[in-house]
Amino acid sequence: MNKKYLYYGLFFIVLIVLPFFLSSRWVSVAITFLIYSTVALSQDIVLGRAGMFNMGHALFFGLGAYSTAVLNTVYGVPILLTIPVAIILPLVFGILLAAPIVHLRGDYLLVTTIGFNIVFTQALKNNIFGITGGPNGIFGIDVPKIFGYSFSSQTSIYFMAFGLLLLTLFIIRNLETSKAGRALHYLNEDSLASECIGINTRFYRLFAFGLSAAIAGLAGVVFAVQFSAVSPEAFNFLQSVLFFTIVLVGGPSSIEGVLLGTFFMFVLPEIFRQFAEARYLIFGIAMILIMIWRPKGIWPAKFGRIPKYMFKE
Amino acid sequence: MDIFLQQLINGLTIGSIYALVALGYTMVYGVLKLINFAHGDLVAFSAYIGLVVMMQLSGAISSSAVIILLTFIVTMIIIAAAGVTLERIAYRPLRSAPRLSAVVSALGASLVIENGIMLIWGPRPKIFPADIVPSINWNIGGVYIGLLQLLVLVISFTLMFILYFFVNRTKLGTAMRASAIDQDAARLMGINVNKIIMTTFIIGSALGAVGGLFIGMYYRGIYFNMGWIYGLNAFVAAIIGGIGNIPGAMLGGLLLGVFNALISGYLSSSWALALTYVLLIVIMIFRPTGILGERVAEKV
Repeated sequence: MNKKYLYYGLFFIVLIVLPFFLSSRWVSVAITFLIYSTVALSQDIVLGRAGMFNMGHALFFGLGAYSTAVLNTVYGVPILLTIPVAIILPLVFGILLAAPIVHLRGDYLLVTTIGFNIVFTQALKNNIFGITGGPNGIFGIDVPKIFGYSFSSQTSIYFMAFGLLLLTLFIIRNLETSKAGRALHYLNEDSLASECIGINTRFYRLFAFGLSAAIAGLAGVVFAVQFSAVSPEAFNFLQSVLFFTIVLVGGPSSIEGVLLGTFFMFVLPEIFRQFAEARYLIFGIAMILIMIWRPKGIWPAKFGRIPKYMFKE
Repeated sequence: MDIFLQQLINGLTIGSIYALVALGYTMVYGVLKLINFAHGDLVAFSAYIGLVVMMQLSGAISSSAVIILLTFIVTMIIIAAAGVTLERIAYRPLRSAPRLSAVVSALGASLVIENGIMLIWGPRPKIFPADIVPSINWNIGGVYIGLLQLLVLVISFTLMFILYFFVNRTKLGTAMRASAIDQDAARLMGINVNKIIMTTFIIGSALGAVGGLFIGMYYRGIYFNMGWIYGLNAFVAAIIGGIGNIPGAMLGGLLLGVFNALISGYLSSSWALALTYVLLIVIMIFRPTGILGERVAEKV
């Protein structure tokens, strides 16, 4: 256990000194890495921990980003004051959208969430309510300011994203060791059995959706700040597929796995950008091979200390 | 009324193409319980292969009927082989793995095919020749129907009828249904499940190939990542009908095509895609296993 904290300490130190050694292009990649890690970790709450096949997570990410963008550019609200809205709106939407469908069997849930995501991006493209800016999105989002300090430099945005990741890790660590986290784990393993021991599965499923949507919404704020623009393409269904794949390639309900998955699915393609055209071909092959060799992800989760003799194999 | 009938004809044409592609999803799902995300890209691949074959043949043979027939046969064989290879490489090793691992493998395979197409034929769209099916149009009481549309409708319905007959009336079809219900029990009854799965992929991919060729001939422009959008629509059709259910996929495809065409005709085409998915969500809420899907009690 102490070793684990040591490794996390080292990881955080690396992340803290990282922006001072990278060129501006790579700092930008690192910021997006931190944001995507956060979104993937929040996706993992629904997909990995609660075991619901959600393939529309970019919707909540986009809802957060668009809340900030619309409130800031159309109504002139300062960025920091948009944060509560960018958390609560995805939270409410997450619960409302999930409420009629959480009881669906795995694949039907997957398709319905894809449906939500496509309706969302189509609505943005069609400039719904005349405030989403249509297919081009919204440009010229302000720089966040707090007590006269403005987050204008790339490094400051990097640390904003880093803070976001720390907060998410803190929430997930607490979730893991709390009643709610255990309840999610039970209902993932066997929803009927968990209901029999008195877990309100419906409540905890909605709880998982709400929590993960809220975190993704907050990540959306930082995303909007990083690019000072939002567009429907950044939150389309293929983006959801990316988050879905990150979790499964990395290892469901494993924090290390999800971080590694984000690195593998997002940073590696950036590194191999020079092989522009062939890289996704190789990438697809790599995805197949990883799943064949490590069907539970690169870094699968380990639960508790179950004595060896209790396993069948 | 004329607009309605015209859009109905157009919708049925597109819908029957969706139905052909949806059958590939639904059959694989029935046997393997796997969403074969690479199926849409196989469909795109078939359009490219078909174009190449067509171009080669049009230099050698003058009769366009023979060219079309040969193109269909050759493309169906090639895509069926590709489908079987796909199953062998990407899905068979994952049969005992967690279900979502196979989904990721399917997504990987989809990336491979999509980018393979782009590397071979380039990122720019290709255009099918216009005169391959003579553009004859009939005017029936103010409603136009083209020879190509008629061809699409007749061939699709014939294929669906043959498939329905095959699945319900032949020994192999019975074995297929048995494997879909319970693989272990089917194996105990002496059914070679691996062979059945291969047959499923052959039939599904070949039907997808017909769908891909129709997409090429009907819309004429084909592009490397078109597999996603056509595949997704066909997949939605399969889900609406009740995935794993063969008549369901046919019904879902036709329903989706007609719905799409009517929305485009009466409202606006920019909302057609969004409303299609609203329809999907509504159906999922009120009929959680699709229109023809059976309500399965949860197994304990």
